[in-house]
Amino acid sequence: MHIFIQTLVTGIVTGCLYALIALGYSMVYGVLKLLNFAHGDLYMVGAFIGYFAIQWFGGAAALIIPVPLLVIFMMLVAGLGVGALGVAIERFAYRPLRNAPRIAPLITALGVSFILEDSVLLLFGGFTRNYNAPAFLPFTESIHIDGVPIDSVQIIVVCVSLAMMVGLRELVNRTLFGKSMRAVASDREAAEMLGINVDRTIAMTFFIGSAMAGVAGVMSGLAFGQISNIIGFLAGLKAFTAAVVGGIGSIPGAMIGGLFIGLCESFSSSYVSSQYSDLIVFGILIATMLVRPQGVFGQPPLQKV
Amino acid sequence: MRVRRILSGAVGVMALASVTVFGVTTSSAHVAKVAAAQCKASIAIEAPFATGPATQLGLEQLHFAQLAVAMANKANGTSITLGKDDTGLNPSLATTRTNSIIASSAVAAVGPAGSQEVEAVGPLYAKAGMAFVSGSATLPALATSGANKTFFRVVPDDDIQGPNDANYIIKHKLAPAGSTILIVDDQEAYSEGLVAVMTPILKAAGFTVNHQSYNGTDTGATLQSDLSALATSQVNSSTHLVIVPWQSAGNAQQFGQTLQQQGKTVTLFGTDGTDSPGQFVIPGTYVSNFGPDISTSKSAVDKAIVKGIKKYGPYGAFGVPTWEATTVVMNAISSVCKAGKTPSRSNVLAAVRKTNISATQSAMGVPIKFKADGDLVAKAGYLFHISSKGTYVEISDK
Repeated sequence: MHIFIQTLVTGIVTGCLYALIALGYSMVYGVLKLLNFAHGDLYMVGAFIGYFAIQWFGGAAALIIPVPLLVIFMMLVAGLGVGALGVAIERFAYRPLRNAPRIAPLITALGVSFILEDSVLLLFGGFTRNYNAPAFLPFTESIHIDGVPIDSVQIIVVCVSLAMMVGLRELVNRTLFGKSMRAVASDREAAEMLGINVDRTIAMTFFIGSAMAGVAGVMSGLAFGQISNIIGFLAGLKAFTAAVVGGIGSIPGAMIGGLFIGLCESFSSSYVSSQYSDLIVFGILIATMLVRPQGVFGQPPLQKV
Repeated sequence: MRVRRILSGAVGVMALASVTVFGVTTSSAHVAKVAAAQCKASIAIEAPFATGPATQLGLEQLHFAQLAVAMANKANGTSITLGKDDTGLNPSLATTRTNSIIASSAVAAVGPAGSQEVEAVGPLYAKAGMAFVSGSATLPALATSGANKTFFRVVPDDDIQGPNDANYIIKHKLAPAGSTILIVDDQEAYSEGLVAVMTPILKAAGFTVNHQSYNGTDTGATLQSDLSALATSQVNSSTHLVIVPWQSAGNAQQFGQTLQQQGKTVTLFGTDGTDSPGQFVIPGTYVSNFGPDISTSKSAVDKAIVKGIKKYGPYGAFGVPTWEATTVVMNAISSVCKAGKTPSRSNVLAAVRKTNISATQSAMGVPIKFKADGDLVAKAGYLFHISSKGTYVEISDK
């Protein structure tokens, strides 16, 4: 039982992060029908912003501001910074290709991914850096369920992720912007004809999706410690898998898909072998594509008769 | 008149003798000086200093190599340059770099760092007839396989380190008799080699050895899932010691923190790949290495190294063997020049084979002399214990 609960906790934490990244994939696909393969690297940039925020305030072992303030600051700065980066990428890399064949922006997205990775490598080196979160968020501050410790970092990750997911759902369903986003996702031309500023809607979508990835990056640094310029690639692939499994373009699907993939990875590592966890996760992707290509929550494409 | 003639003759002979002696001496010194000044060559270092999972250690190796080149050039009056090639601890990248080095004018190389890299590039260097000296590749088969005919190393192989570590664990009872020792490899040749050597020794001593693997190249959430699963499902009440013969000190640190987070109290034992005072600092951990801590050494060589390396920032024991490896190459080139020859791959290789550095002149604390297969004749091993403050304290490995 102990192993089960511990594995469940790890899976939920990982799943929340995958869900936040997957949401960005789904949102962008919804409005642009583009698989933004650079999205995982935005998460990586967020992780670095969080790391440097810690150093700016004295380093993990000698912070000069209260810890809650630091955590909020890290998430805000990473969210805003990566959001702005996402908007810039959309403006200069994807917008000019909006009417090009779909393969063009896809290739561009891959190029942007490499540019982000190598830019960070060039600027900050290939060292793995460590948030060293236990220095300011000690493991001793934890709750216990059946003897399994759940520390403050894990609680922060889950709570912030859930809050962001709920916030996003409310934004999409209850606000004017959300309505614009859904309209653009449904039919871009019709939305434009109805007076919706499509460019601004797409830019805001990129901002929100990227910001969520940036915050996920900060939380991954807090939860896992190590960051480097290559952490975004695999995380992006797993999040993409989550988005596809949940239904690409579906926001609830991305959330559920992220949690599902995180739990699959965690349980397969614990109960099968960590050597096969990737095999299992990507096997699920292939199985989904074969059995239900639109994903669990996705809608099958309409056919005109 | 006659006396004057005799005196003039004596002065003349003396002047002639002086000029001759002076001329000969000056000529010899001049020739040697000219030879040294004309001793120009280039060498290359392969290390993971820019990319990959061990950049911290790779950068330490690079800095120690740069220092060795500067020190040897000054001492020998040579003008040897060092080219830098990042390999990311990746055999495929190391192969690309090696081909570039072989195509260049470099007469010898230092590195690469990882055993899996040497396996990939050894035959290439052998074909080029070019010596390459590693300060960290410890897989025994690298020297005995016969495929790496121009490979040399200034560190003992895992057939020394593995049994040393296992016997230390047994002798000092790091785990209670009959308990379970978990040993995890990272699916690389170096790690698997050490596991293969240590496991039978520990089993023979009555321990139950639980051997597990994880993908050492995983990152982020996937890596955390791997490590968390290991901690959750493999570390139980009967496990008191976990051996982590990994090439990534960062991963070892993350694993240690995961164990702490799950409330698991075990002793960690890392090997040379995890020796990184800037990254792996879990208190109570043991870390073995093939390089000594020279920071408090009274040896003149060590003091000079300590003084020179300061400008590069904090360092551990991982870079010292690379300093030694580079010095071997520099000394070989210098000896070729002193013999009046132009350094080439073949004569530098021959000179490396004849390396004979005394223990007092060696930063490793043991004589540097090679067997026919390139292995170090001497046996050396060092052990560190991480204090409660996270500092590395050298202890006896006996």
